[in-house]
Amino acid sequence: MPPAPSAAAGSCALSLGSRFLFGCRVTAAHRFAASPVQPPSPLHQQPHLQPCRQGRRWLRPELRGVYKPRLSPEAMKEFWRLSGIGPDHSRAKAADQQAEVPPEIKRLYQEALPPIVSQDYRDPIVESLHRAEMMRRRRVINIPEFHVGSILAVSVMDKHAPNKVNRFVGLCILRRHTGLFTTFTLRNMVDQVCVQIEYELYSPSIVSIQLLKLERRLDDNLLYLMDAPHSHCTIPFDMVPEPYSRNDPVPVNRERVRLNPPPWMCKWHLHGYQGIDLEHLYSYLSDKDVAKAIEFSKAYKRYDLLDQYLNRVPVPDADYAFKDIFIQHQELLQHQQQQQ
Amino acid sequence: ASAPALSSQLIVAMATAPHTWLRLVPSCRSYSKATRLYKIDYPWKDEPKPHWVRQFEARRVDADLTPENRDWLRQWRLQRVRDAVASSSEAAAAASPLKEPPAARPLWTPRVSQRCGLVGIKLGILPMWYRNGQKVHTTVVQIPDQRVLRWVPPEDLGNYASLREMRPYRLNQSFLPRWLTQQRWGLQLVGAVPADPANFTAQWCGIFKAAGLPPMRKISRFLVSPDAALQPGACLGLHHFRVGDCVDVVARTVNRGFQGVMERHLMEGGPAAHGSTKFHRKMGSAAGGGGPIYRGKRMPGVMGNRFRAARSLPVLRVNTKHRLLFIKGFTPGPPHSYCQIMDSWMLDVRRSLDANPPPMPTYFAEDAPEGGYPEDVYHPDLLPYDQPLELPD
Repeated sequence: MPPAPSAAAGSCALSLGSRFLFGCRVTAAHRFAASPVQPPSPLHQQPHLQPCRQGRRWLRPELRGVYKPRLSPEAMKEFWRLSGIGPDHSRAKAADQQAEVPPEIKRLYQEALPPIVSQDYRDPIVESLHRAEMMRRRRVINIPEFHVGSILAVSVMDKHAPNKVNRFVGLCILRRHTGLFTTFTLRNMVDQVCVQIEYELYSPSIVSIQLLKLERRLDDNLLYLMDAPHSHCTIPFDMVPEPYSRNDPVPVNRERVRLNPPPWMCKWHLHGYQGIDLEHLYSYLSDKDVAKAIEFSKAYKRYDLLDQYLNRVPVPDADYAFKDIFIQHQELLQHQQQQQ
Repeated sequence: ASAPALSSQLIVAMATAPHTWLRLVPSCRSYSKATRLYKIDYPWKDEPKPHWVRQFEARRVDADLTPENRDWLRQWRLQRVRDAVASSSEAAAAASPLKEPPAARPLWTPRVSQRCGLVGIKLGILPMWYRNGQKVHTTVVQIPDQRVLRWVPPEDLGNYASLREMRPYRLNQSFLPRWLTQQRWGLQLVGAVPADPANFTAQWCGIFKAAGLPPMRKISRFLVSPDAALQPGACLGLHHFRVGDCVDVVARTVNRGFQGVMERHLMEGGPAAHGSTKFHRKMGSAAGGGGPIYRGKRMPGVMGNRFRAARSLPVLRVNTKHRLLFIKGFTPGPPHSYCQIMDSWMLDVRRSLDANPPPMPTYFAEDAPEGGYPEDVYHPDLLPYDQPLELPD
């Protein structure tokens, strides 16, 4: 506590304990106008100074990066170790003692992988909560294994429908996000109108998800079907489900789609799609665009290590996630057997 | 209440004091006659308190220690921190047979009581669904170990907020903040996240020594009414808030770095085409009108990294295993940042708290229900994931 400034002669009872200094008349300005900035306490850090024409100026804390009200990853780990409320590693340890995680787990639980974002935005406790809630939801509804290119029939609750249930059959063209945010998009033709519906995989208003055909395509998404003939995404609503075996590898549909003539919704030649008939596609493009597309498809990204590092889940994190899910999968199977 | 005029003796006192570090800078454009034209600017203006104490210091490399001994000493220090935390916890207090019966707990007084808050660590976001099928995003906040450090009664606020903490509003405007003039509430200092003392300086550890606590990473303060004051060493826990309580979450927003006017102030910029010459994302005119540009003019600069409050967010779920609060909606700040959580100041929440008072002054072990709490406590409107949705017809 600094000593109270001595008041000049007078009866002004200047007690800093109860009164406050506020306002400052312009008359005193000349005393402070050009003073250099020097803190009184030796403990205080020297302000960072920036050279400029008006004299010595100091940088504000946010530009200096001084005040960061965040816990570093090391500080978080120390805090969790001290208090014992950190992420639960018991399931991963139990999975380590068993045989390797079977490949069907990686096919069934693709959304269990952590998101591909900077480490600053990832937290192990939140990711384990997502996985636990995913497995709790799977005790209520059966979510089959499906990929982009598979045909699904989804029933959702709809209070305005005659049976209170609305059923839609479609081709899965997109599957994105991770954890409880996972969504998938089905596309079909209804009365000669293209319809695309995006469903949240873990929404409780979904009554059932039925797999009609298990298949995989050459691409991660089939958005180019928006500019393809409608025959590619016309699926009858009364389609009979085709049997499949979990042990067999997922069949790959290597068909190459011929797009409609331009204009297109997107520059499909610049995204590296393998499921488009490229010769037919290039016939619509100018030489310059074709050269650009061929340059793109030379797959420089195969050799771009940083691109691979940034757009891939780290292998230890992926292994940890699947081990965690594997134990919960076994508990789910036991629960289903008990119910039967 | 309007502030009394400043006496010339006071000005002289300020001028003669060794405050050469104070600097008067031109103020922003004033809208009231009483606003002064100058304000005080000083280097530690935006730094967290206590800025007169350095928290971290460069680690000493002790060449005399072998690595094994260094690790052993670290484990010994961490175990002592754990013991200090455990000995001051509510469970230890409840288990001790020598402890005196607790003093009479204060009653919740409508329109008077303001409880202490909690320090939380924001972890991330988890989506959930209501029983009517509507989706809701919840922020997952972890409540670390925290203890009360100090209580500053309202009468001592003047001594506490001393000249070293000069705030611009005290010299720039006529009106002081109400928590200072009304002296209705006191300051409750709370320390959170105990850590290895070797991380900190001796001065920082000394702050906690007076309260008999291990050193902690974060010190926060809350405005608390005197009837809800807590004494140093008191334990603040997860069940301070119940499922259904509405809270205010105050935190520092994400630092977006140096941004232009279009992102920072949502200005229009210029046309992308039609002959526009080098005017696409600029500010345009600064409206000087021949005179100087007024202070506070919106211009490019660092965006974010400001304290903001998300008001009146209900607590939808409580997880006792990891000590988590699931708060509806989104709170400011990036993951793993500190946030202050307190009873909401919104009027409808205050009225509902009067009808259903929370544990005063905080949660104690005697408030626990029989059989303890389950691992997850849900709000009745929330649908757990292992239950099917049943919509009414």
